[in-house]
Amino acid sequence: MNLYALMFYATAVLIIASTVLAVTRRQAVHSVVFLVVSFLGSAMLFYLLGSPFLAALQVIIYAGAVMVLFLFVIMMLKAEQGEEKGFAKRFWAPGVLAGFLFFAAACVAVFSDPSGTVPLKLNAVTPKEFGRFIFERYWLAVELISLLLFLGLVAGIHLGRDKGRGEEDPE
Amino acid sequence: MIVPYGHVLVLAGIIFCLGLTCVVARRNLIMVLIGVEIMLNGAAVAFMGSGLLWQRLEGQAFVLFILGIAATEVSVGLALILHAYRRSGSVDPDTYSVLKG
Amino acid sequence: MMLSFNQDLVLVFALLSVLPPLFSFGLIVVFLRSSPGLSSLVSISAVAVSLIGAVLLLLGFRRPVELSATWIVTGHLSFPFGFLLDPTSLLMLVLVAGISLLVQVYSVGYMAADPGYSRYFAFQSLFAWAMIALVLSSSLLQLYVFWELVGLSSYLLIGFWYEKFSATQAGKKAFVMTRVGDVALFMGLLLVLLHTGSLGIQEMNGSDMASRMSPDLLTLSALLIFGGVIGKSAQFPLLTWLPDAMEGPTPVSALLHSATMVAAGVYLLARLFPFLSHAEAAMTVFLTIGTITMVMASTMAMVEKDLKRIWAYSTVSQLGFMIMALGAGGFFEGTFHLTTHAVFKALLFLCSGVWIHLYGTNDVFAIGRRGARRLKAPMICIFLAAASLSGIAPLSGFFSKEAVMGALAGLDNPVWVAAGLLGVFLTAYYAFRALFILALPLKEEKGGGDEKPALFRTMVWPIIILSFFTVVLGWLEPFLEGFLVEDVNIRTNPHSWVVWASSGLAVLGVMVAWLEFGRKGSARIGFAERWAPVRELFAQRWYLDHAYELVLEYVVYRTFAALCSRNDQKVIDGGVDGLSRLTVAGGRVLSHLQSGALRYNVALPFVIVGIVVFCVLLV
Repeated sequence: MNLYALMFYATAVLIIASTVLAVTRRQAVHSVVFLVVSFLGSAMLFYLLGSPFLAALQVIIYAGAVMVLFLFVIMMLKAEQGEEKGFAKRFWAPGVLAGFLFFAAACVAVFSDPSGTVPLKLNAVTPKEFGRFIFERYWLAVELISLLLFLGLVAGIHLGRDKGRGEEDPE
Repeated sequence: MIVPYGHVLVLAGIIFCLGLTCVVARRNLIMVLIGVEIMLNGAAVAFMGSGLLWQRLEGQAFVLFILGIAATEVSVGLALILHAYRRSGSVDPDTYSVLKG
Repeated sequence: MMLSFNQDLVLVFALLSVLPPLFSFGLIVVFLRSSPGLSSLVSISAVAVSLIGAVLLLLGFRRPVELSATWIVTGHLSFPFGFLLDPTSLLMLVLVAGISLLVQVYSVGYMAADPGYSRYFAFQSLFAWAMIALVLSSSLLQLYVFWELVGLSSYLLIGFWYEKFSATQAGKKAFVMTRVGDVALFMGLLLVLLHTGSLGIQEMNGSDMASRMSPDLLTLSALLIFGGVIGKSAQFPLLTWLPDAMEGPTPVSALLHSATMVAAGVYLLARLFPFLSHAEAAMTVFLTIGTITMVMASTMAMVEKDLKRIWAYSTVSQLGFMIMALGAGGFFEGTFHLTTHAVFKALLFLCSGVWIHLYGTNDVFAIGRRGARRLKAPMICIFLAAASLSGIAPLSGFFSKEAVMGALAGLDNPVWVAAGLLGVFLTAYYAFRALFILALPLKEEKGGGDEKPALFRTMVWPIIILSFFTVVLGWLEPFLEGFLVEDVNIRTNPHSWVVWASSGLAVLGVMVAWLEFGRKGSARIGFAERWAPVRELFAQRWYLDHAYELVLEYVVYRTFAALCSRNDQKVIDGGVDGLSRLTVAGGRVLSHLQSGALRYNVALPFVIVGIVVFCVLLV
């Protein structure tokens, strides 16, 4: 057990704990905050697994932009909806069942294969190398992602229109 | 040497299943969307681990794409939730039962 | 006269004996149901043709002939279908065809006004075909097929007047009881087949049979075959169906249940006599059962008031007598008695039928009161028949009875002869009891006139012909013995004391009957009827029917039938219903998936994938 393994397990515990807390909160805002912690832990994991660039991107985009957007929308809808109604078993049962079953199957799949026990080798990639790789090999995907972002922008504007003009739509 | 590959996949699986539980069990559409985000995060961890196993950069490239897609999908999804909320007055997924039976 | 035929001609005559009644049955059933006159004409001519064929075969007989063709071939087993023409079968063939013809002619008069006339003659033809084919069968499997067919026609004819509930019950009882015997017969057949690989009668009678099957196996199969005989020939304990079978028309009783069908059992024993005589223990069992039956049935006849039932018990008793003869090793004696019994028993029934048809009642006392003695021809003939039954010289019954008693006397144990003598006494007693009640009633009704039933001629001529044979047949004994048994020297009976003893007992029986029933001022109560327990015992058929009812009630209905019906309800129906309930409940559970809620739709694919991965990886 060397230092890196220790770091991995510590990060893993952090991620899992904060995700569990995020999933089980009653108030949506609490949930979002815990999720931000989870994403930060995820960023550390990415750094450990060899990509400091992606770690930074995770913090900036995911934790910084996406979660903030969530907070905005929560606050827009907050006044009318109030707290969520109870945590009954019949709502949680299918979820727990599905998750558990799927996870069990995944474990069996992973550990029945010999390559599941191969230890990973450390490596790190600088942003420059990563960028060169992306733009040389997967430039089309990058372009498509940008197009997708544009589409998202248009859709967001259209759907999020205010009541005045949105109601004229017969849809 | 860090950890066996299987452990990384187990971690990814746990994150993914937690996200699945969140999607299925919550009665607030926004929480459902948060669950989807968690699931995407789990997939990203898996990709990273696999890229490191085979020492290829494709794994990391795909994590970049996941990031982009997640951002797009969140914005469109939240816009949809707003729209639906304004039309029906509730964010409980159980009330959207027009497709019942 | 000895005609000489070649093989082809023999085949033609054999087919001529067997096939016409089958065609007659088909013709009547399909086309002629609405024309009664034509039906009886077709049926009678068919049987007449069979009789002609039979007589020709008999006259042209040189040596035994087997004509067969391959019928079923499975694996290494091959079953032939064919005709075995040897002295025993030819004699029986002539007997069956002749008596069938006479009974069918008689039926024209008896069944004249009956609405089921055509159906009756159709069934008679069916029976004639089945019985003739049974007699001529060359292998036991074929014989079994026709055995069952004969049982079927018996069922159809017993329950002929199906509107009467008692008739249908009697038919069912006959069929079921004989079926029990037939199961035993089939098991015996299977045993023989398994150990020797063939069921041909000539092969079974061959001399090497004793080496091919072990003695125990021989005895077992002989006993099982005898089980079939017990059923078909109404021996103890399966004898109670025959008295009830008297529900059928009288000509049917004359033909089936006295002369031919019930004699099929005895015929089977005679057929397989060389085979069966290898098993000593089985022969002793035959003797025992025959004896018990003979004495038991005679006692039942002593207290009976129904005329047909008296003769039915007599048939059972005489069949027991024949089986005693065969069990004692007397092949010729048993067969000879079979022949003479067929003639005089049919005669007894046909004569009784004249009065039953005229007066519409079976009760002996009623018939006597209404003036039975006024019809001369039946009266004389029934007297001859009863005398032949009792074994009074010089009628045919005397000769055959003496032959059987001689065979019994030749055994070591004197108990068989003693039982035979007792049987002779009782037979004479009950026969003449019935006769005296008929002929010498206490009080005769006036005003009856000399009325005769319609078509009296068709009923009288068969009776006359049969009485002729009753008288004459006895004198043919030497010829018959020479014909049936190879290399025999006509021997005189070494036990001549038996002749005197049995004749004396027969006369004694007649005199006791005269004392109690015949003379003027007699009390008309038999010696057996004086003690009520004894009378009840005899009248209730020694409580055999009660025993059967108990067995049915407790073993069949309460246990097996109850178990089966509970299995049907709980297990089979319950299983199917449970399956359907499971499906409905499953549907109700699965309908939650379609409730429009998002969570189930999302969770479902992951659950399925998990299960599939599990299955793939763990299997």
